[in-house]
Amino acid sequence: MLGAIIITDHSDRVQGRTFVSGERSAQTPWAAVEVLGKPPVTRLADALWEVCDLVSVIARPRDHVGAQSESSLTDLADECFANYIGKGCDAILIACCGTYFELDIASMLAFHQEQCLACTRAFVDDGPLDVWIVDPSVAPAYSWVFSSSACARSAVYRSQAYANRLQSASDFRRLVLDGFHSRCRLRPEGAEIKPGIWVCEGAQIERSARIVAPAFVGRNVQISEECLITRGSNVESNSHIDFGTGVENSSILPNTYVGIGLDLSHSIVDGRNLFNLQHNVSLEITDPVVLRESTARGRGRQSSADVESGMAVSSVE
Amino acid sequence: MLRVAWLYLLLNEHGGEQELDRKVKTRKGEYKMLTSGPIVVMQVPEVLNVGEVHNFMQELGPLLESNRPRVVLDLSQVRSMESAGVEMLLHCLEEVLKRDGDLKLAALSPEAEVILELMRVSRVFETFRTCDDAVRSFNAIPAEAVSQNTPWCANVFNELGIVKQAS
Repeated sequence: MLGAIIITDHSDRVQGRTFVSGERSAQTPWAAVEVLGKPPVTRLADALWEVCDLVSVIARPRDHVGAQSESSLTDLADECFANYIGKGCDAILIACCGTYFELDIASMLAFHQEQCLACTRAFVDDGPLDVWIVDPSVAPAYSWVFSSSACARSAVYRSQAYANRLQSASDFRRLVLDGFHSRCRLRPEGAEIKPGIWVCEGAQIERSARIVAPAFVGRNVQISEECLITRGSNVESNSHIDFGTGVENSSILPNTYVGIGLDLSHSIVDGRNLFNLQHNVSLEITDPVVLRESTARGRGRQSSADVESGMAVSSVE
Repeated sequence: MLRVAWLYLLLNEHGGEQELDRKVKTRKGEYKMLTSGPIVVMQVPEVLNVGEVHNFMQELGPLLESNRPRVVLDLSQVRSMESAGVEMLLHCLEEVLKRDGDLKLAALSPEAEVILELMRVSRVFETFRTCDDAVRSFNAIPAEAVSQNTPWCANVFNELGIVKQAS
């Protein structure tokens, strides 16, 4: 029996979204942020369900940043680990999900069993991943994998699999573009209504708005008149791009309002926080007319079929 | 809030703030160019919100009302700018253009650059890397001073004509 524990908040190991200074998303790791409709950690959990008998995700709630200490997450992981031992797991996969990876877990498990060692750690081309398979008969607790004895008794599983360390805003943008261009298995959610254009349920795109591939429009997103979404931009769930704004090579994170007549390029926007990749500068826009957090609407009144009939889309690269 | 206003006097032998005409030699002859009068260089505050815009305009406003105002705004300290700040810049530009003057932006901080691009006004202003560059630009020969009768390529084509004849 194989159990899996995913820990999403390891701010001491993972450089989170340091560009943001706002309260909402400080220290939220990139792996927990929606990418093309779903956070990488959710995608990992989905993938693990296919090969594991038990999967647990241990995360710090988004709106409780700072409320829980890192040690309490470790305690939770230890508790989960003990629970898995009690349920009779003969191998436990531990993933500290700061990195997006596409490992072949079944193959890693087979390798681990062949090696007959206490622990197997995954390595990709640019170094080790925070992914281990441990033998619970040797490892007393989750935190054992970080000990020196674990290092001494671990096998190295080398893989050529796709991995993105998600350490910075540019890594995040690279993951989005890799997803659009099929350089990894991460596929956008929703329906591909035109080649390279994905639209999720509940999205409302005005007739005069223009979406140029590759682009992604998430759940319950509102794109107003005369907007242009282009060059690998993704507008994640419950966001609103207001009249006449152009979004180019940018990511709009969930629940963000982008004001009227703006020109947003090479940026990641999260509520009122903006990080510009070209100038390598982060800004907090205090003017709510320009950028702000939008409330989740959850309209869901328009299906993707409605969207297709009402919008102007172009699949020109 | 750090805000420094200082005056640059353009290159003229007499100095002072009185208007002095300068003659520039062009191919066509002499072109009269006004180069005198002070150039106002003003540092924009770090945060340009509604309150700061009001304070800043109280200082800058009277300077804009002079004859042919020439203003350089130093944006090197800007860390945050609301839409009111962008509107103020546009208003200043409008005012100086109305009086046959000009307004230039200099030493833009990355934050200021991003905000101006975001609000689609970056191309409206003439921008310079440093304040000195911006000040010097007021002294540059205007385009109309250069003879427009002969196209720049005329000499090249003349030479080509000679080559053709030779062949």
